[in-house]
Amino acid sequence: MLTTSGRRLFVAVLPLCHRSTTLDLQQHITDATKEIFETMIMLDITPGAPLPQPVRQFKASVSGVIGLAGSCKGMLSIHLPEPVAKAITSSFLGMEVDEINDDVTDAIGELANMLAGNIKMVLDSAGKAVTLSIPSCIHGEEYSMDSVGDADWTAVPFRLDGGEFVVELQIKNNG
Amino acid sequence: MGKRVLVIDDSSTMRKIVSRSLRQAGLEFDEILEAGDGQEALSLLAKEKVDLILSDINMPNMDGIEFLRQKKEIAAIKDIPVVMITTEGGADIIGEAKSLGAAGNVKKPFTPDMINEVIGALI
Repeated sequence: MLTTSGRRLFVAVLPLCHRSTTLDLQQHITDATKEIFETMIMLDITPGAPLPQPVRQFKASVSGVIGLAGSCKGMLSIHLPEPVAKAITSSFLGMEVDEINDDVTDAIGELANMLAGNIKMVLDSAGKAVTLSIPSCIHGEEYSMDSVGDADWTAVPFRLDGGEFVVELQIKNNG
Repeated sequence: MGKRVLVIDDSSTMRKIVSRSLRQAGLEFDEILEAGDGQEALSLLAKEKVDLILSDINMPNMDGIEFLRQKKEIAAIKDIPVVMITTEGGADIIGEAKSLGAAGNVKKPFTPDMINEVIGALI
């Protein structure tokens, strides 16, 4: 796993495969996230309304990122404030987590990996074969993640005890 | 020697969770060995005997498909059953794994019951 700590990061991505699929992808993100939390993390989460605009600045947070390539290219990411990342890792691994360490970055990367695997199956079934990158995890006191101007995206927030996190998908047709 | 299983995954989180799920599913192994990718697994299998292998597919250095391809050419280990535990649940990749000898597949996310359903029949 690649880990980048505490520095400004720019990620360039482009528009969604088909804008008409945006709502479906939102539902798939919601369903996949709830399934993972119900079966493996054992925490109750509640999805909120999709965000009206992407969040690009993060403070004291952890972001898990998976790149998509092939018929579509883009990125799936999950952004969590540090206390939420620690709480999720603690429940995931069944152990106390007091700091952002390798256990947290690995767990959040794996969470992104499972979410991306679900989205890959959706895209594959729509005839859009994609491959997934190895998970990366970014964390730090302050960092940003940017996309290019014509990028299309969807971002779904989820609430749980002690905070909120966001799952975001950005993809474009690759010719 | 008691039963031994090898868990191959680049995520230490997932290796821990697979090990925990085996215990929760009531599948008792005397020893659970771990490897971070296919290459590390082949090196370990050159000196250690195991009864079952559980492997991720999407890994750096050597992925699960290449691991299956190389394992089936090594007489000493080619008959050890391998179950793929992966986010990549598409028919193509699972079909390729089965054509290379994979004995089963468990899709992440999984429960201990799902692990037991596939692995219980192999041990």
